[in-house]
Amino acid sequence: MRKKIFIIPVFFVFFLFSLIDTSAQNVAPPEWQQCMACHALGKKLIGPDLVGITDRRSEEWIYKFIRNSQEMIQAGDPIAVQVWEEHNKIPMTNFDFTDDQIKGILDFIKAYDPSQPVEIAQAPTTVSDTVEKAETAEEAELDQFLYKHEKYGPGNTRPTFIVFLILLIIAVADLAFIKFIRAHFIHYIVILVSIFVMGEIVYVEAKALGRQEGYSPDQPVWFSHKVHAGQNHIDCLYCHSTAMESKSAGIPGINVCMNCHNVVKSGKITGTEEIAKVVEAWNTGKPIEWVRVHNLPDHVFFSHAQHVNAGKRQCQECHGPVEKMDRIVQVENLGMGWCIHCHRRTPVQFKENSFYQEYTRFKEKMESGEMSRVTVDDIGGNNCQTCHY
Amino acid sequence: MKKYWKSLEELKDIQAGPETLPEPLPEFSIEGLTEEEVSNKIKSNRRDFLKTLGFSIGLAAAASSCEVPVRKAIPYLNNPEEAKPGMSLHYASTFFDGHDFCPVVVKVREGRPIKVEGNELSHITCGGTSARVQASVLNLYDSARQKHPMKNGEVAGWQQVDDEIMEKLREIAGNEGRIVILSSSVVSPSTLKVFEDFKAKYPTTEVFYYDPVSYSAIRMANKSTFDKPAIPSYRFDKAEVIVGFNCDFLGSWLSPIEFAKQYAKTREIGEDKQTMSKHYQFESYMSLTGSNADKRVAIKPSDEITVMLNLYNKIAEKSDMPLFDAAPSPVNIDEVAEDLFNHQGKSLVVSGTNDIYIQAVVNAINFLLANLGGTYNFERTLNTKKGCDQKMAKLVDDMEAGEINALILYNVNPAYDYFDVQKFTDAVKKVGLTIAISEVNDETARLAEYVCPDHHYLESWNDAEPYTGMFSLSQPTIRSLFETRQGQESLLKWAGLEPNYLEYIKKYWEENLFDKQDQYLTFHDFWIHTLQNGIYELEAETKTCPLYDFEFLGVNANELKPQKPEGLELVLYEKIGIGSGKQANNPWLQELPDPISKAVWDNYVAISPKYARENGLTQEDLVKVNGSFELPILYQPGQPYGTVSIAIGYGRQHGGKVANGLGKNVYAFSKLVNGSRQFNKGSVTLEKTGEKYPIATTQTYHSMEGRPLIRETVLDKWKADPASGNELHAINEKKRVTLYKKPVYEGFHWGLSVDLNKCIGCSACVTACQAENNIAVIGKEEVKNRRIMHWIRIDRYYSTAEPDRQGPEDIHRIEPDNPEVVHQPVMCQHCDNAPCENVCPVAATPHSKEGLNQMAYNRCIGTRYCMNNCPYRVRRFNWYRYVTNDKFDYNFNEELSRMVLNPDVTVRERGVVEKCSFCIQRIQEKKLDAKKEGRLLKDGEIKPACVQSCPTKALVFGDMNNADTMVARDMENPRMYNLLEELHTLASVGYLTKVRNKEAGHEHDDHHA
Repeated sequence: MRKKIFIIPVFFVFFLFSLIDTSAQNVAPPEWQQCMACHALGKKLIGPDLVGITDRRSEEWIYKFIRNSQEMIQAGDPIAVQVWEEHNKIPMTNFDFTDDQIKGILDFIKAYDPSQPVEIAQAPTTVSDTVEKAETAEEAELDQFLYKHEKYGPGNTRPTFIVFLILLIIAVADLAFIKFIRAHFIHYIVILVSIFVMGEIVYVEAKALGRQEGYSPDQPVWFSHKVHAGQNHIDCLYCHSTAMESKSAGIPGINVCMNCHNVVKSGKITGTEEIAKVVEAWNTGKPIEWVRVHNLPDHVFFSHAQHVNAGKRQCQECHGPVEKMDRIVQVENLGMGWCIHCHRRTPVQFKENSFYQEYTRFKEKMESGEMSRVTVDDIGGNNCQTCHY
Repeated sequence: MKKYWKSLEELKDIQAGPETLPEPLPEFSIEGLTEEEVSNKIKSNRRDFLKTLGFSIGLAAAASSCEVPVRKAIPYLNNPEEAKPGMSLHYASTFFDGHDFCPVVVKVREGRPIKVEGNELSHITCGGTSARVQASVLNLYDSARQKHPMKNGEVAGWQQVDDEIMEKLREIAGNEGRIVILSSSVVSPSTLKVFEDFKAKYPTTEVFYYDPVSYSAIRMANKSTFDKPAIPSYRFDKAEVIVGFNCDFLGSWLSPIEFAKQYAKTREIGEDKQTMSKHYQFESYMSLTGSNADKRVAIKPSDEITVMLNLYNKIAEKSDMPLFDAAPSPVNIDEVAEDLFNHQGKSLVVSGTNDIYIQAVVNAINFLLANLGGTYNFERTLNTKKGCDQKMAKLVDDMEAGEINALILYNVNPAYDYFDVQKFTDAVKKVGLTIAISEVNDETARLAEYVCPDHHYLESWNDAEPYTGMFSLSQPTIRSLFETRQGQESLLKWAGLEPNYLEYIKKYWEENLFDKQDQYLTFHDFWIHTLQNGIYELEAETKTCPLYDFEFLGVNANELKPQKPEGLELVLYEKIGIGSGKQANNPWLQELPDPISKAVWDNYVAISPKYARENGLTQEDLVKVNGSFELPILYQPGQPYGTVSIAIGYGRQHGGKVANGLGKNVYAFSKLVNGSRQFNKGSVTLEKTGEKYPIATTQTYHSMEGRPLIRETVLDKWKADPASGNELHAINEKKRVTLYKKPVYEGFHWGLSVDLNKCIGCSACVTACQAENNIAVIGKEEVKNRRIMHWIRIDRYYSTAEPDRQGPEDIHRIEPDNPEVVHQPVMCQHCDNAPCENVCPVAATPHSKEGLNQMAYNRCIGTRYCMNNCPYRVRRFNWYRYVTNDKFDYNFNEELSRMVLNPDVTVRERGVVEKCSFCIQRIQEKKLDAKKEGRLLKDGEIKPACVQSCPTKALVFGDMNNADTMVARDMENPRMYNLLEELHTLASVGYLTKVRNKEAGHEHDDHHA
């Protein structure tokens, strides 16, 4: 079922930039989005105020802390322990940033001018690009999709099937016993057409067995990706943090929710009711049992890391415009044909990723211009044992 | 020309000539029935057909209207930093169960340890493992484990048990009563300190060590002759001539993984290494080590001392040293003596007989050969075997006399493996307080008043010092599954100390080991890094070589006379899988074919075929051994005439559902002779019962039909021509003419090479594969039906010189008494022109773009055409549903045991074919790792389970497209050949010829050796 919700601007305290008029002077690096979840400039959020951080701490200390704060705390670094204790012992997530990335963040903080708004530089993998621009066209598409799948399953074909079944029985009966129509070719045409239509229905229905396109179950907590990823621009990877390295994208532990909901206790749509469920889970130690929407059969070994990290795919390519969904719906059928089709037309990151240098002949052909791209299929992405083993 | 055969039956057929070859047995019979029985059984009629049809349509209709089940996704409440669903974590740890030692790395998925690999940082094992180490992870999920503390067989709480034990211990210590801790060998320095602390609290405590398979004679002999009561380091890697007497150093003796690694180093040959060790083996049963020897001589156990003394005298003569009286040697040893004398300082003589005098003679020979400080040195001493047989016997006497007031049995099972079980059992009853610290409620724990269940090693903290100055750590990889407590914590608790063993170890390391290094400034850093590596090794102290004291042998000259027992001489030995019987409840090990006899699930009386025939005994005859119990007969070529051998480790009564009642317990045949427990001093009588007892063996499954699957040569010929013995390869290459285009592989083309010279047949790969790929255990009956599921098998071939075509009357002239042996691992060959692929009607087994022969289980409909068309017989069929099926009551039918399953590999259903995939899940994982990091894949980065487990590095896996990889170089080696290459299957597995270090032209009189 689809719920129509009018978009009301939701302000979260930690999105400082949205409070300020949009004529940007402070250009933040893309990584700043991840910092923003806990840090602000000019005030303390979950983490400390970062203005002047470079004066307070040595660069080396900051680099180490960003990459692995827990190690420093365990090793007994006095400042690290103090910071940790001052901030309710909430551990900071480890970020595997390069030196340049951290330097970019620090430079931005150093140059930060409180009188000017902040603008985030374009980042290739964040949701924001797709979200901002997609606008009406995609929204309309989603609306249409949801309408089509108003009823669970790929449309009701049963009446058609029964009509043709009756036609078939009548034709056979008339041909054999009643003999009302003399012209036999009519019988044959009816029989053949019925068999064809029924066969087609059976084929389509059988193919869809176990498929869940359009599946959109109720979840135990009314959680909206539209609010989190869409309006608040939280990076997908902030919560689904293992998508870059593991098979599983990972459903965030409650500790990730609590990073923000320690402070944010009420939402504009659901008030305090739904967030209270999360806090309660945290306090009682009973994790939330989400209903899994995207299911693959057990004999399929799908890896998020392969697609998101190595293949540089956008989340939305398979999951649809998640940032527009209040309740998650499965937009693709996730069938094998769908996988294969994409593997056939999608090029791999042949030039960007030096792993593919191993394919020497392809490399030569690419260089000579004989091949314009190397698809997933070319390097064996459609072999059985790519996914089934 | 040599002739290879897998079994005596096959040899007979070879001798009789091809025209009399019997029709081959049907490879796969249905449920073990004959064809006629089957056709009667499955007869059906039209009514049945219609019934089935109607039922299936109904069922299909019902199924199609079903809703898809709702699946839940439950995240962590507080996600631990390192836990990432779908990714495995690796923890360094150490396996030691009182018998085997191995530093390991444990793979943990979603909090469950699922696989054990060797730790490559260890200089002892260098990443090698054995079948038992591989299988140890399954013991963690064994339903036979003791789950609660018990008092008198009733479940009790820890509080109650602790209170009562402490009260009683206090009382006993107060009355000056004797408290004894009877422990298996302990290598942990912290545990030794726990014992000390326990003693401090209860001063009347004594600690005794007990090993069922004892090595106390080595320590005794070294004390008497070198004044060093310790087990030295043996360096097989530095030896050019190795002589073993009844010593299975590659399979079971002292530290087999380490020795196998060292031995393989000396067997490696190539362009830059043209030498190879020469290995002589004198032994009384066909051991794994003997099967690898260049020259194997079968001797009776009672002749061992005579042969050895003669060898000593021959060498002493040349070096003007004192001689000892010796009867003439029953075998010719001139060549051995000559060889040893010519390799002074670079040879090694070892004996596996636990006899002080034999070990003293061994020491004398090594001393004469100047091996001390080299191949035989005391720089580091081995600590894994501490048991003292004399003390143990004295303890049992004292217990019997009622002098012991409290007995703590720590990780020992003498009620099963002591040589006089009855005496021990009676003696235990006379002890006031008996406590068993044990993982399983075994034969011994059942005698104790209190049973305090111990953690499995994968749940424990521990440290170890297997060799002096070489340390390793164990860390838990899962929280304890049951209400168990680590043995050390129990002792600490009873000693009135804080029962926190982790802090205790850390304190010990901080006080004793932190000072000895200068790499880390704080103890925290030192500890964290050592724990991560699992290994911490100190420089060996150089010590002066001790001098040999000839007086000991001089004084005891009388003891050097051989004692010939009446009748058949008996040798007890350890099997590669079951070992001492501690892990007998492990179904993977029970179903591991013995590398020599290829038998599973049983022990048996192995007997020389000649003796058996002369005495009217045939294969599988049930005989009464010494009038006490019945075992079947197994013909074992290589078994000396007039001797029999039986494996220990069987006949458990309370080992668990798998172990109980399998085989017979023969520990009672071991004897305390010359102050140590000996396994080859017994004698037996065999009495035919007239009944048959079938033994399940895998050896005759797959017939060779006389094809040249094994190619071998000798060292000198190989030096002259590296392709010697492999001449057929060049001929076959020339014949490779085909109409089809040669397949082209962009990127990767996976291949595997097997060096037959380095493969010793230890079968670690078989168990590793079983653990990695969720392979089912099917039980003895099904193995007999030729349905074993292992994806990798090790074929064992015997070979003798080609018999001239002889009639049956000449059969004794080529009696295969002492054949040579070759071990050949066979897995799916991943043919580029695969016969299996094009017969599949549903395309379930296509070829991949990386040269792999793929198997898609979900497409397979079970026609088994591929199995019939595979010339290598490597495909396996799931005749039943082995998972969640109580008819296969081993490990797959229990929720607990299924926790060991690898989530990256499909668990196969009934009715599909499966086979080796080159561990595709590992290939995919490592390829992705490289892609994530945006770099080229490194050679050797991908290791299938078999390759990773191999202690001798006989298997090499890699990309054949890249000329710089090890496997590509192996493929260019003139020794390389493919199995059945004449069929033009273009296999991706290459074998390197076996090279023996012996005189050319010896082949013709081999069987007389």
